[in-house]
Amino acid sequence: MLKRIVSTMKSPFEGKRMESDLDEELRFHVERETEENVRRGMRPEEARTRALQRFGGIEKTKEECRDAGRAVWLESFLQDLRYAARSLRKNPGYAAAAVLTLALGIGANTAIFSVVYGVLLQSLPYGGGERLVRLRVDAPGAGIADGRFSPPDVADLRGSGDAFDAVSEYHSMWFVLLGRPEPERVQTGVVSANFFDLLGVRPILGRTFRTGEDQHGAEAVLVLSNSYWLRSFGGDPSVVGRVFRMNDRPHTVIGVLPPIPGYPEDNDVYMPVSACPFRSDPEVEHNRDAGMLRAFARLKPGGTLRGAQAQLNTLVARLEHDYPGSYPASIHTAVTPVPLRDELTAQARPTFLLLSGMVGLVLLLACASVANLSLARLVRREKELALRSALGASRRRLARQLLTESLLVALTGGVLGLVLAVGCRQLLVMFAARLTPRASEIAIEGPVLLFTLGVSLLVGLALGLVPALSSRRSLVTALQEGRDTSAPGGPARVKLRGLLVVAQVAISFVLLAGAGLMLRTLWKLAQIDLGFKTERVLTSRVDLNFSRYPEDAQKRDFQTKLLDKLSSEPGIVSAALAGNFPLSDRGPANGRFRIEGRPGAAPENLPVADFQRASSDYFKTIGVPILHGRGLSNVDREDAPKVAVISESLARHFWPGEDPVGRRIGLDGQHPTDEITWLAVVGVVGDVRQYGLLKPPTEQVYLSMLQYPGLSTTCFVRTSSEPRALERAVRAAVHTIGPEQPVDRFRTLEEIHEGALASPRLTATLLVLFAGLALAITATGIAGVIGFSVGARRREFGIRMALGALPRAVRAMVLFQGMRLVAVGLAIGLAGAFLLSRLWSGLLYDVAPTDPMTYGAVALGLGAVAAAACFLPARRATSVDPMVALRNG
Amino acid sequence: MATERTDLLQGTLDVLILKTLAPAAMHGWGIAQRIQQLSQDVLAVNQGSLYPALHRLEEKGWIAAEWGSSENNRRARFYSLTRAGRRQLAEETESWERFAAAVGRVLAAT
Repeated sequence: MLKRIVSTMKSPFEGKRMESDLDEELRFHVERETEENVRRGMRPEEARTRALQRFGGIEKTKEECRDAGRAVWLESFLQDLRYAARSLRKNPGYAAAAVLTLALGIGANTAIFSVVYGVLLQSLPYGGGERLVRLRVDAPGAGIADGRFSPPDVADLRGSGDAFDAVSEYHSMWFVLLGRPEPERVQTGVVSANFFDLLGVRPILGRTFRTGEDQHGAEAVLVLSNSYWLRSFGGDPSVVGRVFRMNDRPHTVIGVLPPIPGYPEDNDVYMPVSACPFRSDPEVEHNRDAGMLRAFARLKPGGTLRGAQAQLNTLVARLEHDYPGSYPASIHTAVTPVPLRDELTAQARPTFLLLSGMVGLVLLLACASVANLSLARLVRREKELALRSALGASRRRLARQLLTESLLVALTGGVLGLVLAVGCRQLLVMFAARLTPRASEIAIEGPVLLFTLGVSLLVGLALGLVPALSSRRSLVTALQEGRDTSAPGGPARVKLRGLLVVAQVAISFVLLAGAGLMLRTLWKLAQIDLGFKTERVLTSRVDLNFSRYPEDAQKRDFQTKLLDKLSSEPGIVSAALAGNFPLSDRGPANGRFRIEGRPGAAPENLPVADFQRASSDYFKTIGVPILHGRGLSNVDREDAPKVAVISESLARHFWPGEDPVGRRIGLDGQHPTDEITWLAVVGVVGDVRQYGLLKPPTEQVYLSMLQYPGLSTTCFVRTSSEPRALERAVRAAVHTIGPEQPVDRFRTLEEIHEGALASPRLTATLLVLFAGLALAITATGIAGVIGFSVGARRREFGIRMALGALPRAVRAMVLFQGMRLVAVGLAIGLAGAFLLSRLWSGLLYDVAPTDPMTYGAVALGLGAVAAAACFLPARRATSVDPMVALRNG
Repeated sequence: MATERTDLLQGTLDVLILKTLAPAAMHGWGIAQRIQQLSQDVLAVNQGSLYPALHRLEEKGWIAAEWGSSENNRRARFYSLTRAGRRQLAEETESWERFAAAVGRVLAAT
């Protein structure tokens, strides 16, 4: 049977060389035989014929020779495999522990590698590839970090030189799309006609924008994002050609995009700039101060970032010279090209690299632990191996058997690990999505599978080599010297096991330190005073459709009616509207202001604050304390004197030691000739973390929504019970007042807060998981090694105690022996953690990467666990009856 | 192990080959000649089974092969005993002697 299988198999290991060797060997035989026959007196032809006759079928012999070689090879391989499986089955405890440990190690590595590959390594999903850049503008002198370009800026960027072969602009707005069963608020990317050509994105249906479609007078067209197309149209290809109304104009769908990252924003639809009513407004189009756009560019083939930077510097210098009003030299405007790859992955990189490092350590630890297990097992098998060796099994063959066994363990672990990784994929994608738009590209396929296979093989080889190396001497000598199984198994092996324990402790320390630092960070983040109360507040977006509410009076009317309706709703304690929600991921709405009575400065040197519109009950609704004066109120109407409420930090900054209430601040108009609007400061409120948890509170000016109504609004309701239950009431209220007015993005303030903490929380959870795993593996490892050496030294302990050694002293001796290893491991781990501290410094908040408290706690905790792991076997050492030990030892 | 179950004939040829190679390396034809000569022409080695046996023994690591120059100055494949082969030979010689002695005792008893 086996023979049949083998002979049908063309073994790849046997190439042409072996075949010709065989030919030559047999030919030699026949010729030698012929020669011999001739010597005996035959004629040459007869001699040859006789020789061939005597030989029998040459082809048959050749076939049998090949089979013999292959059969032995395959047979011995199958034999090794069967033997390995049998010996593992006979020792299910070891097999389960080893496979499971490796499965966790390999699984964790596969999972993290799938993220690293999908997000950091794999090429960008854009045809433009590595030549794509985003142009970033900063003006540190004006407090602008990553600001926006105005339409004339983009035109200047286009004409700035030949470093780029294409430049495109982008901004995103919410518009209402009509023509579907319900009015839909769609996030709309507004782009130049060449945007998709620049990126190198081809539509899966229809086409993208054509040259000229972003010019005035062009028909309004739409390209749908893949996810919106699937979500809202169920992937119906007939959507191309359909017409929807947006901004009171018909818009024709011309194409559908492939699945690409939701970057720069997760837009539902894209339109050319000419279709955006704001962007194509002549007022905006020629206004150098209307910063609302992002710019993307593609380097010309062979172009460098350095060349592009030089060109941009020249442009900025020219603009500063030509338009000193818009680009005063004092604000140090700078435009930099940022590779798109960095844009997409910069935020995720440190976290993913840290996690890769950590899972690498976990795998190392898992290997050390399994190596330790198999060394312990090897000692017990020494007699068996020695016997087999004496029976004629070659050293190579024995080593191969051990290798087969460890490969079997590692590959089984790898398969199990793969299953684990596949099971965790969804969770990982969710986690990664908080850090990068490329999360959807994470998949466990191709290169990731190869990685897992490679890691498994490597682990199997490494583990197979450990016993092979350490058994160099003891294997043969074992039988000769007649050692019994309780002997320590050679000093080299004890030393090796000790080293493995040291490594385990060191690795665990690093992992625990990382987890500890991350936990401290999480704790500190959760402790941040937000400046508002998150309990029982439901928020939603109510962005007014500008074509329905063009006039301030109409907006005011809608907003007042909505607030009245909401306030009368049962279950709602108070309701408010504001421009934005706290902890928003948007940038601040910075503006300049004057302070009455202070010497006038040039417009560009005026103080800066973030301006936020809010309705009268805003502070009460989200729980911002009024520190001084009063909050906004319904008396601050359009015909009343204009008022402002300022934040505490703004008050301290500009009125240190003074009372700002009663002072006035002035806002310049659009044009230098416009009159200054003066607002009376009526109150000071507490600071709020308006733009993200980590950004310090912004210096803020709150304006009355009645005096400054806006289109984009967030609705807040504080409820008396579960806030989510009020979702329907809010929806109904909005639809009663504006039937075509969408309201969406319902979230509670608690959810917003949780969302801001989610990514560090998940990182911390993963690290704690890894560290916990490491601790458990290490503790078992220590207990195993110490327990083993105690078992081997039972006789010695018996003699010691028979001679009068106190059990306490014997216990202390064992404990000391173990703790010496632990101490060395801790020292190495501490050094390692210091060296690696740079790796995680970027992820910490308000905790030093070498925080002595964390390190100390980790060292103490790990030491305590290790001591416990040593203590258990130490007790066993003294529980032995000296007489029994002596007699049986 | 497979060797424990090999049939007597094949096992016998194997041990004869090992024995033949004990003093010095030799090529296939030489081995056949030598066995025939030593057994005083009682045992004629079938070439059809000699070469497969050589390949099998080589695969098991008991003998090693090397290309060398033959007595008539031609390229020939020389086989020599490895350490494992030497151990195997000792083992099989002993068990053969035991076996032969036992058979002899049984036959002499009647």
